[in-house]
Amino acid sequence: MKKTIILTISLFCLVLNIKAQKIKGSDTVLPLSQEAAENYKKKNPASAVSVTGGGSGVGISALISGTTEIAQASRKIKFDEKLKIQESGNSLKEIIIAYDALSVIVNPSNKVSKLTREQLEGIFTGKITNWKEVGGEDLKIVPYSRETSSGTYEFFKESVLKNKNYKSGIMSLPATGAIIQSISQTKGAIGYVGFAYLNTKVKTINISYDKGKTYVIPNITNVKNKTYPIVRPLYYYYLTKNSNKVKGFVDYILSPEGQKIVSNVGYITLK
Amino acid sequence: MRFPMKIVERLLEGVFKMSSSITSIVILLIIIFLFKEGFGLFRSPVVENGYGLYINSKNPIADINPTQIKQIFDGEIDNWKTIGGNEESIYLFRFDEIFSIYTDEELGENYQFLPQKLNNIIAENSNIIAFFPKKYMQEISSNTKEIATKNIEITDFVLGKEWLPTTTPSPLFGIVPLVLGTLLVSFLAILIALPLGLGVAIYLSEIASNRVRGIIRPAIELLAGIPSVVYGFFGLVIIVPIVQKVGNISAGETAFTGSLILAIMALPTIISISEDAIRNTPLALRESSYALGATQWQTIYKIVIPYASSGISAAIILGIGRAIGETMAVLMVTGNGAVIPHSIFESVRTIPATIAAELGEAPIGGTHYQALFLLGCVLFLFTLILSIVSELISKKQTSKTA
Amino acid sequence: MIRSKNIQQKIAFHIFRLLSFGILGILVWILGFIIYNGIQVISWEFITSYPKEGMTEGGIFPAIIGTIYLVIGSMIFAVPLGIMSAIYISEYASNQKWVRFIRIMTNNLASIPSIVFGLFGMALFVHTFGFGDSILAGSLTLGILIIPIVIRTTEEALKAVPESYRLGSFALGATKLQTIKNVVFPIAFPNIMTGLILSVGRVSGETAPILFTVAAYFLPKLPQSIFDQAMALPYHLYVIATSGTDIEASKPIAYGTAFVLISIVLTINLLAGWIRRYFEKQNSI
Repeated sequence: MKKTIILTISLFCLVLNIKAQKIKGSDTVLPLSQEAAENYKKKNPASAVSVTGGGSGVGISALISGTTEIAQASRKIKFDEKLKIQESGNSLKEIIIAYDALSVIVNPSNKVSKLTREQLEGIFTGKITNWKEVGGEDLKIVPYSRETSSGTYEFFKESVLKNKNYKSGIMSLPATGAIIQSISQTKGAIGYVGFAYLNTKVKTINISYDKGKTYVIPNITNVKNKTYPIVRPLYYYYLTKNSNKVKGFVDYILSPEGQKIVSNVGYITLK
Repeated sequence: MRFPMKIVERLLEGVFKMSSSITSIVILLIIIFLFKEGFGLFRSPVVENGYGLYINSKNPIADINPTQIKQIFDGEIDNWKTIGGNEESIYLFRFDEIFSIYTDEELGENYQFLPQKLNNIIAENSNIIAFFPKKYMQEISSNTKEIATKNIEITDFVLGKEWLPTTTPSPLFGIVPLVLGTLLVSFLAILIALPLGLGVAIYLSEIASNRVRGIIRPAIELLAGIPSVVYGFFGLVIIVPIVQKVGNISAGETAFTGSLILAIMALPTIISISEDAIRNTPLALRESSYALGATQWQTIYKIVIPYASSGISAAIILGIGRAIGETMAVLMVTGNGAVIPHSIFESVRTIPATIAAELGEAPIGGTHYQALFLLGCVLFLFTLILSIVSELISKKQTSKTA
Repeated sequence: MIRSKNIQQKIAFHIFRLLSFGILGILVWILGFIIYNGIQVISWEFITSYPKEGMTEGGIFPAIIGTIYLVIGSMIFAVPLGIMSAIYISEYASNQKWVRFIRIMTNNLASIPSIVFGLFGMALFVHTFGFGDSILAGSLTLGILIIPIVIRTTEEALKAVPESYRLGSFALGATKLQTIKNVVFPIAFPNIMTGLILSVGRVSGETAPILFTVAAYFLPKLPQSIFDQAMALPYHLYVIATSGTDIEASKPIAYGTAFVLISIVLTINLLAGWIRRYFEKQNSI
């Protein structure tokens, strides 16, 4: 009983302490920020960077409502989100911290190894429903998608589906890890994940954006020489008035050491 | 000495009384906050906030609804005739395309010529439908008219068949697939759990020896104590692959998988409440049944079960209530496809799973955020009704016993 | 005729026995799965160190501490309120309509899904009160969630105290407050404790209410104040099982987390059950 009281009192006393720095947002950027925060702490033991996921939207709305210092995003900030920040009398700073190649993956047992953008559009909008229509065996296609407002979902929709909607009732899993898990278990599955998430349990598809003339596999070389078509920047957003507060960490992630974490985690460095 | 003591007593009584009303206050607050945020949805425009949909003023179309907007922008409707206009193909124009038509110089340094250029494009194309920020269309000229200016209606929400909360220009907030998904998973779960639970309840209260009861009852308590996220994890790693293999279906994340997990989770509730109801059957009733030569089993299903039926129905309803509100386990195993379910071996999306998965990503105060709060209201009303019904039923039971 | 009756009974009873042991089987299956996979990961280091290498190595120390903070925080809020309201309902309230109203409200509050508490907590504590994602907001949300449990169990415990004890105390000239403090409460205490322990179990396992009110994916150090975010075991399990770049590499961590979570919750439940049974026996003697 006494211990509880002491603990309570000490808890309340600590209220006066300074708030820790927070990064919040995209699940795609999450592993990168997490590892960067982990290493940054080794370098600056006094720092306390906390990292939370939830999605690009959650990060930016937290930035708007002032509950985070840095919003991590896997998509560009939306027009009306920008307006909201302007309305609150703040201005926004946008930093690209890395690039990500969105990879299309299938179950390893699947014989199909290349698809055109048009075929992908057909599959994810529900017009193509069987693997034999794209040169595979007679098997129902099971497309997996991310949750509706993750940056990955929106970028894929913009780039691959040309802004058309996904087929209604597409399975949407709460996080990328769950998509890998499901695709590795499901024979007819297809899905899309960030480059960093690829592993041997799933098979990566070669993509063509020129109606089947050339097919490109996502790898670091192809992203750097810009032949792989589905590449997106990953962002940090913060309010200009917080510049001083977040500078240390942002500089760290842009430094050679920080960029080494970028490639360790599996994303593509800026240079 | 006596006097201040009395004051203390009075004071404390007041404090006790105040704290006793805390639950009522909390419920009131929940209602206020949920409904206040939720009903904001019906004061929001159909088209994404800050944006407008514009057509050429020669176009006879007066208004279109959100579903039509979605179909037009998906390319499913490509002729104005389909929605009652002229025989003309639809020219889709999204804001970004202006930058591929005009250079930045032509648009001006601060995009001061942008409104004018937009206006020209709309004026030149009678078959256009253009989607861009309202602030670039400050004064509507005679060449253009804005359509779909209405607010979201209750019928769009309650009767809508599509849940596409982030689609542009006009998000769709139809809850029909979510409600049906939730109900399907919950009822199926109870359908699985009820015979099991009833059997166990009968066994525990009528047949089992004290020793066996001493093993099974704590086991059921433990089952009730396992956190739902652990059930979800177990379902994701074990049950999903099993369902896929045994059912030989294309994906293991189905309504059925969710129901199996929910059934296990609802069992403790159903067992303990029906066991209580069965125990409450008066001894006199049983003994008269035995006296007439009935076996124990005949007594159970002809006398005890009918007598306990209202208690058992209360158990069913509480079980459904539990299942309807369950979030994490369902989120992890049902695949969350927002579609009106046609079979139990399809993916479904439930209301709680939708809230848990989307709330974090919805911009605060936006239509999506409001729609999720409205889903919270729906969930709240569901469970409120269920808990009132179960209360009425168990009251009937107690009055019968008395 | 009599034979067929008996055969019917035999078959039915066998089925029921089978079902009951089937439930036992399900429990063993779930626990076995978690324990078998989790025990290989568990070590002193796992419990006392921070996550490392992008959550694929290291331990879950901050999540354990976060859960403890949330338990303490929610109890500070819910226990006094819950116990006081129960005392009022069972000892003071003379207006039966008022009591019935409160009871209905309490029952309703108990039946509201936990995700709705999450929504409510986010709207009220995180945004309206401006606490942000914090231990404070999370504790308040969880506190509201368990108030009905505390009220109900306390009320039952108080009701179980025989009326004659109260009358005896009054007869000796004790006031109502003195009676409650010196006679009723001490007798009811073990049962109240059971209820409190059960609600601790509930708080430590809940995920949905903390999703939007407190939970963090990664914190480099322990929360410093009640306005900081915290990691928590159930959320940690959810995140590890569904996110992370290398889901295979982090699976052992997920099993370990599930193991720790389940050990905590089940120990609490067993403890509560044991206390209840212990005092039941004492009372019956």
